[in-house]
Amino acid sequence: MSRWLGPIAMLIVTALATHWAALHYAPGVIMDRTLATLKNRGIAEHAFTTPQRITPQSQAVVRSSPDLFYSLCRYDLSTNGESSAWLDVTIGEWPEYQSLSFFDAHTNNFATIRTAGSAQKVRMISSMAAPGEDAADIVSPTLRGVVLIRRLAPTQALFEEAKAASNADSCTMVQP
Amino acid sequence: MGTALRYGLALMLGAAIGIGSMLYMAGLWPGMKPLDFGDIEVRGWRADFAIGSNAADPYTRARVARHGLLALAKSEAVYFTRTTDSSGEHLREECIYRLKVAEMPAEWWSVTLYDADSKLPMNEDEALSINADQNVFAEANEEDVGAVMTAIIAPQKPQENRLWISSRGAGNFDLTLRLYMPDEALLADPQSALEPPSVERLSCEDEA
Repeated sequence: MSRWLGPIAMLIVTALATHWAALHYAPGVIMDRTLATLKNRGIAEHAFTTPQRITPQSQAVVRSSPDLFYSLCRYDLSTNGESSAWLDVTIGEWPEYQSLSFFDAHTNNFATIRTAGSAQKVRMISSMAAPGEDAADIVSPTLRGVVLIRRLAPTQALFEEAKAASNADSCTMVQP
Repeated sequence: MGTALRYGLALMLGAAIGIGSMLYMAGLWPGMKPLDFGDIEVRGWRADFAIGSNAADPYTRARVARHGLLALAKSEAVYFTRTTDSSGEHLREECIYRLKVAEMPAEWWSVTLYDADSKLPMNEDEALSINADQNVFAEANEEDVGAVMTAIIAPQKPQENRLWISSRGAGNFDLTLRLYMPDEALLADPQSALEPPSVERLSCEDEA
């Protein structure tokens, strides 16, 4: 029996370590895959990509709503080894509900701005940016992530109008 | 059995138990209904108000990453999901249901149907959801009393002129109620503030 004590201890330690590791890394791995999928589907980096209306055939993300206009911008502030770059994001005017939300590389929604009826510009830096960088409205906990605009547009006509409004949206990385 | 073999077996079994227990506890085990979890339950509709917040526990975060990626925090929107009808039976494509929606404690709402993979069902019916902006009643009748909107959930468009959510191609499905810009009262006390939609099963293909 004593010759099994070591293996049993190893089993318990391995189970606990694997459980913790799988739990800890799952959101990051899932987000990593999602970013790769979005890239493969033509979602630009540092620019909003004008979307197709969400349909069963065009859905790229689980539980997307067919009643909303989604516009995505991938960001990676580590480009060229620099972490002091920032992102300037502008959301255009839209008379109905619209929001600008920020998700980090671990899927956390770390900031959301609601801007129904007006346009807004915000600056986002990464938490790894050097102290003394220009003041920012938003701080991303990670270097990579996604910015998402949602506009209420439950009909094809409203979707087309939301698409026209998106001409005023921008998502630009700026390097000092 | 040799020492190396015993340790090798322990290593493999430990890894399998670790991953399996994580998937189970996060509601990601194959066959489990991940969205049947949540810290809020109001008459068959479940929600996880921790979604999108830094307070979300790691199991919730893993589940949301897989099944509700890019969801908003509760101050902006809350998401309620149900997988069963009002009598407790699983929602499925073979049946016809009446969805009855009362006044919602939010600026805007919608109800959307998703298949077991959390995807919109692969059909071209253009009847994936209903929302607060639609006509109150396409054709009101006595069953609609007490509701601000009713709709039929079915794989075929109903003959009468009713709002319709298509379940064609969905298999077993669930419904997600989105409440945008929710009232403070809903966030504080969802049990009292929310009268969630009812989902009454009307008939099933495989029932006499």
